[in-house]
Amino acid sequence: MRDYKKVSDEELIEDIRSKNKELYVHIVDRYQNKLMRYITYLIHDEQKAADSVQETFIKAYINLNGFNVNKKFSSWIYRIAHNQAMNLVKKYTKEVSMDTSFDIRSNHDIEEEFSKKEIVQKAHSCLNQMPIIYSEPLALHFLDEKSYEEISDILRIPMGTVATRISRAKFIMKNICQKNK
Amino acid sequence: MSKKQINIKNNVMAQIKEGKITMHSKAYFVIGSIFLFVGLIALFILSVFLINIMFFILKAHGPMGQYRLELLISNFPWWAPLFSILGIILGIWILRKYDFSYKKNFLLLVILFIGAIVFTGWLMDATGIDNIWFKRGPMQGIMKRYIQGNNIPSPGLNKQMRNNRMMQFNQ
Repeated sequence: MRDYKKVSDEELIEDIRSKNKELYVHIVDRYQNKLMRYITYLIHDEQKAADSVQETFIKAYINLNGFNVNKKFSSWIYRIAHNQAMNLVKKYTKEVSMDTSFDIRSNHDIEEEFSKKEIVQKAHSCLNQMPIIYSEPLALHFLDEKSYEEISDILRIPMGTVATRISRAKFIMKNICQKNK
Repeated sequence: MSKKQINIKNNVMAQIKEGKITMHSKAYFVIGSIFLFVGLIALFILSVFLINIMFFILKAHGPMGQYRLELLISNFPWWAPLFSILGIILGIWILRKYDFSYKKNFLLLVILFIGAIVFTGWLMDATGIDNIWFKRGPMQGIMKRYIQGNNIPSPGLNKQMRNNRMMQFNQ
């Protein structure tokens, strides 16, 4: 029997489409934490983010036959998550809370966790003060470790624009964080 | 792993197992791509046709004397530029659906798309190829009505004959 924990996303998708639909559970396992962090960062509401992640997995499953296995699956599912989050941002622009204390990982030692949490909170606080067009590519690059090409595929903007926005975002972030000190 | 995340996994997998959500078939996406492509081509042809009508009418009305200009304005089919603009906007909207649209300079793509429509419209008028669609199909009816209604020489002639008729009409 194949060890599905080691196969690539694209190979796994091929098997879900042709052999066993229930293998989709591996996709959910691989991406739920990542998407939860990404969407929570965008909409600042854990409950709405959870609903949005669930909706992302459902939409991805329904449209799985439309995914081109020659491309990167992670970019494709992040694109769906981005659209979901943007729909929510547009819908609840006035309602979106600015709570930045939410953190998903929690099995580190308390002291280390506290200082990490403080840094994360500060970083989130700075990120939240800049426009989303700059903060989103910055977060994808540094928090989700996405390449410029992947960010270009997720946000559907040219790679040059990704580079410009990240560079501008770093400059804005530096200014905001220095002011907040 | 938090309870909420386990719930996401359970909810999604339960819906898949119970058959509440199903994948769209491959044919669904193939048909969608075909429709998208055909729509883009159809909008291109429609816009070329409408631009072509405008070139033809501007030419058929001859030199721009004050009287002719007024005649042109009063008889000009204003629906043609309106629909051609609508066709171009819809065409651009379809172009955005393609992956290459964000990898290239989209403004350049839009300029090329509009340029190709205007150039093809002009080329068809200049070479007289437009006679083909002025003579047949649904476009024949549109042209016939407009030409008869405004006493414009028929485009169903070769280029030389059409120019001769226009010269007579303008004298």
